[in-house]
Amino acid sequence: MAAVIDEECCTGCGACEAACPGDVIYMDHERGVAVVRYPDECWFCCSCRLECPRDCISIVFPMSIVP
Amino acid sequence: MRVPEILETEVDVVVVGAGSTGGMAALSARQAGATVALVDKAGIYRSGCGAAGEDHFVAVLELGEDWDTPEAFLRWYNGLTQGLCNPKVVENSFLRHIRWLVSYLEDLGIPMRLGREGDGYIRTGSYSAPGRYWINFDGRDLPPRVAAEARKAGVAFFPKRAVTDLLVEEDRLAGLLAVEYRTGRLHLFRCKAVVLGTGNVCRMYDNPSGEPFNLWNSPFNTGLGHKVAFEAGAKVANMEFIGFNITPKNFGSPGLAGLMGMGAHIVNAAGERIVFKYHPLGEKGPRWALCQAVYWETKEGRGPCYIDARHLAEADMEHLLTRLLPVDKKSFNDYLRQKGLDLRKDLLEVEVTGGEIPAMVGQLSGILVDESMSTTLPGLYAAGGCALAMGSLSGSMCGGITAGRSAAAFAARAGSPPEPRRAHLEELASRALAPMERKQDGISFREFEDKLRQIMSRYVGVGRTAKGLTTAIEELSWLEGMVPRLQAADGHELMRCLEARELLAVSRMIARGALVREESRFGLSHYRGDFPEPREEWHKSILQQKVGGSVEISFQPPYAL
Repeated sequence: MAAVIDEECCTGCGACEAACPGDVIYMDHERGVAVVRYPDECWFCCSCRLECPRDCISIVFPMSIVP
Repeated sequence: MRVPEILETEVDVVVVGAGSTGGMAALSARQAGATVALVDKAGIYRSGCGAAGEDHFVAVLELGEDWDTPEAFLRWYNGLTQGLCNPKVVENSFLRHIRWLVSYLEDLGIPMRLGREGDGYIRTGSYSAPGRYWINFDGRDLPPRVAAEARKAGVAFFPKRAVTDLLVEEDRLAGLLAVEYRTGRLHLFRCKAVVLGTGNVCRMYDNPSGEPFNLWNSPFNTGLGHKVAFEAGAKVANMEFIGFNITPKNFGSPGLAGLMGMGAHIVNAAGERIVFKYHPLGEKGPRWALCQAVYWETKEGRGPCYIDARHLAEADMEHLLTRLLPVDKKSFNDYLRQKGLDLRKDLLEVEVTGGEIPAMVGQLSGILVDESMSTTLPGLYAAGGCALAMGSLSGSMCGGITAGRSAAAFAARAGSPPEPRRAHLEELASRALAPMERKQDGISFREFEDKLRQIMSRYVGVGRTAKGLTTAIEELSWLEGMVPRLQAADGHELMRCLEARELLAVSRMIARGALVREESRFGLSHYRGDFPEPREEWHKSILQQKVGGSVEISFQPPYAL
């Protein structure tokens, strides 16, 4: 797990994709939502969450980190 | 292979890396009259270690106290780096621009004054400093605001371009080659000067969680600047000194400066404060001493170690939990919540991170620059985490200003850049794109990197010997032979393959320097079991330079004030 995007909430604006410093998030243009394509490469920096205008992104740590 | 068509852009100055150094470098070069391209493999608005903003801003403000002067800062800084970082570099970047920079950021609307009293600055001290140089501020909006200013000034943005090589023709800089990796298109930038703002180098060592991207600094900083500068013939310095930090268990997060600045303690399993055993200043000592304390307490069976902040006054705790930790790492409170930890009541278990070439106050290694931020290759400039200069957010931004202005001045007096030789360009392009061409029997960037981290962690981490370093150098050289077998399924993986090449290049510099330096210095940063003490004859910088096909080693005595 990593940054997790709530697809019900996402409007596909692309702000998170543009903000991610690791090229981890890609737009799924067919479905009109953003997708965390490379969760193993997430830095947990929250640049995406900071830029999301609708607060659709949460951070869920993998079990190697929490607990 | 048939090399696809190459896009071309010609400008005076190309800035590589859009983090804290690059944003200011691009803006400053543009304001000095140059045409400027800002190139980054990520987006432009949030990139580098400070992508999501930071909570501390090192500053000398000259507000009256005797430590708050350029002279006092420089004296401390020269001691902290033991004279291995040229004080003229610090003077002509950080000390020259810092007061202006703080007021500039306030004009941009960045909250620099979080306090309610006096001038409103909340300032704390860390890492053996004689005064409170760290302004606690809210830097979440800093990166996009600075980028917006650069765009407004006319800097051209080129996101999602991974730079592959610098182009040098007859000892003159001709430009650089990049891959727009999501589309696979090549992009040639012809220019008179280049500023490297590519930051520190991470991801070369195993980290305790086993997640290679879970690091306290940006895992996307992989040493591009170091690699291309070195290959173009510029000198690098002191690459053997790697940096460590103390982070929460399994969580790659900064925050130590905030915790120590607010007065938290580091304790062992028995609850004893441990840092005084290793440094007379205790938790106020240099970062490397704190790391040394946690490392040896744990190794010698007195761990785990913890940060104890339970004694902090409620106002300080509130400041820490709302203003510092969740700004330094935006997911810090998510971590505490998901762990069920309350710093008011609970100890925070900590550990020593894997190594990296750090970007911080007191960094000791990087591309060698003079006070104009010029590398030893004319027209090539470097600042911030990738240079032997002052890192950290404010140090990098100030270095970017100096580098940007110097590059613009160089471009103003330089003639047109030489024409890159087509055959050479195509050779570099085909090498860069090779992982996409390979369809079978290849190795993934991840497999390649895992091998790299295995070698580096075993032989080039804490506790080095001539025998182990020689083995590492041989194994890294073997890994170099694996580069042509890298395979990428798509553009994203291609970009990671380019990063893997960078990580390898920097790792080789570290191992080479570590074998040369027959002493130990700066705690865990370079601990040679076969030479366990600092030795006066080694109190100097080790420089590496590629000359023809081989690497020449030379030395630079420590700088005096």
